[in-house]
Amino acid sequence: MSQSLLYNVLIPVTKAVVCFLVVALVAGVLTLIERRVLAALQIRKGPNRVGWNGALQWLADVVKLITKEDHVPSKAEKVVHLLAPLLVMAPALTVFAVLPFGPDFSVTLPWIGKVTTPVHAAADVNVALLLLLAVSSIGVYGIILGGWGSNSKYALVGGLRSAAQLISYEVPMGFAVVAAILMANSLSLVAIIEAQRKAGVWFVFPGLIAFFCYFVSGVAETNRIPFDLPEAESELVAGFHTEYSGFRWAIFFLSEYANMIVISTVATTLFFGGWLRPFPNVAWLGFLDVVPPMAWLLLKVCLFLFVYIWFRGTFPRYRFDQLMALGWKALLPISLGNLVLVAFAALWGAAGLRVLGAVLTVAFAGGLLWARLRPARPRGTTSMAGRPAEVRV
Amino acid sequence: MSEGTPGTAALVPPPEEPTLLGLHEMELNFGPQHPATHGVLRVVLKVDGERIVSARPDVGYLHRGTEKLFETETYPMVIPHTDRMDYVAAATNNHAYCLAVEKILGVEVPKRAQYIRVLLDEMQRVSSHLLWLATAAIDLGAITPFFYTFREREVILDLFEEYCGARLTLNCMRIGGLPVDLTPGWVERTQAFFETLEAKIDEYEDLLTENRIWKERTVGIGVLAADRCVAWGVTGPVLRAAGVAWDVRRALPYECYPELEFDIPVGKNADTYDRYLVRVAELRQSRRIALQCCDWLAKNPEGEIRGKVPRVIKPAAGMAYASVEAPKGELGFFLVSSGANKPYRLHVRAPSFVNLQSLPEMIRGHLVSDLVAVIGTYDIVLGEVDR
Amino acid sequence: MSLLDRILLLDIFAGLGVTARHLARPADTVEYPEKAKEPSERFRGMFLLDEERCIKCTLCAIECPINIIYIDWHSEKNAEGKAEKKLDRFDLDMKRCMFCGLCEEACPTNPRSIWLATKTYELGTYERNESLYLDIRKLTQWDGNVKPFPTADPAKAPVNPAKEK
Repeated sequence: MSQSLLYNVLIPVTKAVVCFLVVALVAGVLTLIERRVLAALQIRKGPNRVGWNGALQWLADVVKLITKEDHVPSKAEKVVHLLAPLLVMAPALTVFAVLPFGPDFSVTLPWIGKVTTPVHAAADVNVALLLLLAVSSIGVYGIILGGWGSNSKYALVGGLRSAAQLISYEVPMGFAVVAAILMANSLSLVAIIEAQRKAGVWFVFPGLIAFFCYFVSGVAETNRIPFDLPEAESELVAGFHTEYSGFRWAIFFLSEYANMIVISTVATTLFFGGWLRPFPNVAWLGFLDVVPPMAWLLLKVCLFLFVYIWFRGTFPRYRFDQLMALGWKALLPISLGNLVLVAFAALWGAAGLRVLGAVLTVAFAGGLLWARLRPARPRGTTSMAGRPAEVRV
Repeated sequence: MSEGTPGTAALVPPPEEPTLLGLHEMELNFGPQHPATHGVLRVVLKVDGERIVSARPDVGYLHRGTEKLFETETYPMVIPHTDRMDYVAAATNNHAYCLAVEKILGVEVPKRAQYIRVLLDEMQRVSSHLLWLATAAIDLGAITPFFYTFREREVILDLFEEYCGARLTLNCMRIGGLPVDLTPGWVERTQAFFETLEAKIDEYEDLLTENRIWKERTVGIGVLAADRCVAWGVTGPVLRAAGVAWDVRRALPYECYPELEFDIPVGKNADTYDRYLVRVAELRQSRRIALQCCDWLAKNPEGEIRGKVPRVIKPAAGMAYASVEAPKGELGFFLVSSGANKPYRLHVRAPSFVNLQSLPEMIRGHLVSDLVAVIGTYDIVLGEVDR
Repeated sequence: MSLLDRILLLDIFAGLGVTARHLARPADTVEYPEKAKEPSERFRGMFLLDEERCIKCTLCAIECPINIIYIDWHSEKNAEGKAEKKLDRFDLDMKRCMFCGLCEEACPTNPRSIWLATKTYELGTYERNESLYLDIRKLTQWDGNVKPFPTADPAKAPVNPAKEK
C-alpha cells in the first residue's frame, strides 16, 4: 500500500468518521449535561430517571425524536423546509475538520506499521482560521431558509433576526481573531498554539479584550442566551424552528451544540493555549505533563461549555435592536481599538505580549478587588414616598 | 365603484400607507396559545418589521360568567367563586367580597380576625409578587429567578395550606371574620419565614436590578405617565410607578391598616423598570407589615375570630362598594342587594381588566420583544380579566 | 452604576455569583412518587361520609355552591315505632367539586359526618365519570376509596365510628 493513499485518504477518512461520531455523541450527551447543570444552578435535580441517575436520558431523547412524526406544515416550501436542517448541520460539522485536538501522535497498526498523524479530523490547514470563519457563516442560510420555508410568521421573524445577528457578529469576531493572528503571526491553528508555547504566555492575557469580544460574539453566533433571539421562546414561541418536529428539529438542536463545541475549542486554541498545559514554559510545573495534551484541551473546552450553561442560567435576553447596537457600537470599536493595542505589543515581540498581558490582567483584577473592598451599596433604596396618599374624592 | 363618484368616498377604506420597503404591515396574532401571554390573552398586532403599529387585546377566552353566577348563590356561597378570579391571590379576593357584604350588613369584624386577614393579605401579596417576578423574568429570558422565587412562594403556600387546607383557592375568609382559628405554632413559622425573606429579596435584586441586560430591556419601555394612568383608571404598582402614591390601604383604609407602619413605594419614570422596583420594594414593605401582624398575633393568641353575623344572611335592600389593595391594584366589589339571600348584582372592579385596557397605548411604537415585557409588567391574571 | 463598574462587568459578575452560590446548595425539590410532602391536618382532599352519624338534614347539599351533592331519603318506622330517616341516595359528583369545604362547615352533627379534610390528594383517573362520581358505597368505603396517607398518623385521620363499634 502506498504511503500517499494511506496518508491522504485512509487516515483522514477514518479520522473524519470518528470525529463525526464523537461530535454527534458529545452533542447528545451535552444536552443531558446542560440540563443537569442548569438544574443544579436552579436548585432542582434535572433528569435523573433514565439509566443510572439519568445518564441515559439523552439516548431516550434521541429515540423519542427519531420516532416522532416528521411534520411539514401545509403550504410550506417543502424542499426548503426539509433541506434547511441539513444546511445548518453540514457547516457545523465541517468546521471540525480543521480543529486541532492534540499534537502528533503515533500508533503502530498491523500490516501497515508505525503511523504518525496529528489529532485532527483532516489536516493542519495553513488558512484554518479563514476556513473556519467562512464555513461557519454558511450555517445562517439554513436558519433563514428554515424560517422562511416554514410558512409561519414566527419562524420568519426568527430567521430574519438570525440573519442580521450572525452577519453583524461576524465582524467583531473577525477582529478578535485577527488580534490572535497578529500575536501568533499565522493563520494556522497549530502554529498559533505553538506560538503561545514560544511566547510563554497564553494569548488570553495580552488578548484579554480580544478574548472577551470573541467569546461574546461566539455566544451570539451560537444563538445562546443572552443572545438567543432567533428562538426567543417567550417571544417567538421557538423562532426559526417553530414548525419543525422530530429528527429535523433534533438536527437543529444538534448543530447548535456542535457550534458551541466549535466556539469553545477555537477560543481555547486561540487564547488558552489549546492542548498546552498551564504555563508551558515553567519547568518545575513539568509534572503536569502526565495529563495528556488532549485532556487539557477537553478540560478547557468543558470549562467554556460550563460558562455557556452558566450564562443561560443567569441572564435575561437582549432585545433585537439592542443586540445589534451591542455588536456594532460596542464590540466593533472595542475590538478595533484592541487590534491597535495588540499590534504595537506584537511589534515588540514576546516581551511586549507579556507586558501587555501583565498590565491588562493587573488592571482588571485590581479593579475587581477594589469593587469588592469598597462599601456595599445600600439595599432596597427605591424612591419611596413614605407618606400617606392624598385621598381623591 | 369609481373613484370620482361623490358620496361614496366614506365607504371606501383609505388605502393602507406603504411602509419603509413599500410593503404593508404584517398582522401577527399573538396568543391565545402563546408562552408569554400569561394564560389566554390574545393580542392582534400590526407590525412594521418588528415595530408594533397597533395592538388590539382580545379578551374573553377564559370568560366563565362569574358575575352572573354570583346572582344565583347565597352570600356565603359566593366566596369560593371569588377565589377563582385572581387565582394567584385568592385571599385578597375573599377579603374584598367579605368587606362589601360586611359593609352592607354593618357587621364589625373582631380585632384578631382583622389582623389575621391583613396577615393573609400580605402573604398573598408577597406570593403574588414573587410569581410576577418569576414570570416577568422568564418572559425576558432569565429562567433562573423563577425557581428561586418559587422556593419562597412554596413556603407561603404551605402556610396557607396549614391554615385553611388549600394552597391556591383558599376560601379562607367568611362574612364577619374567618372560618377557623390559627393552628398552634403557625404565627411563629410565619414570622420565621418573613425573617429570612429579606436576604432572598437581595438575591433576586443581585440577579436583576443592576444587570445591564435587564435594565436595557425594561428602562424606558412601556411608559404610561401619571395623567394617562389616571385617565385609564390604572391602579396598583403600575400607577405607583408613575409617581402617584395611591394605595387603597392608605387612601381608603380598611381593617387594621391604620395601626400598621409601612411606606408606599413610588417610582418616577413610569416605565417597566420602575414597576419592577416598586414591586420589589412592596415585597419588603409587605414583609414589614406581616412581621407587625405576627407580633400582634403573638401577643394576642386568643380572641374572637368571627363577628356577630346572622345565620341566614339577608342584607337590607341597598348598595355597597368595598375595595382592597390587591397585588394587581384596586380590587372592588360593588354589591346591590334587593333584600333577598342572594346578591341582586355583584360587580367586580378587577384591576387586571382595567389595567389591561391601556395596553394599546403603552405598547404603540415598541418592538415585538417589548410586548412581552409590557404584558409581563401589568401582572395580569386572565381569570380576573375575563371573570 | 458608574462607567468603571460597567467596564469591570460588575453587574454581570454579581448575577453569576448568585447562580454560582446556588450551584453548591442541595436541590430544593423532592422526587415525587418516592417521596411526597405530607398534606397538613386541614388539607382539603377526598370526601368521606359517616352514614350512621348523618342525620339526613341535607344542609351540605344546600350549602354546596355548585350543587354536586344529591341526597334522597325516605321515612321509616324503626323497631321502636319511631320515624327514622333512611338514605336512598347520597351521591357526590366529585369531578365538579371545587374543594371549598362549605359542606363540611355546614354539617350540624358533632363530630361532623361529612369530611373533606382527608389527606388523599392523588385524584387522577383515566376516565372521569365513574371514578369521580361517588355514590354512597364509595363515600363510605374507607379503605378502597381513600388511601391512608403513607406517613400519616392514623390517630389523626378521621376515624370511622362504624368500625370502632
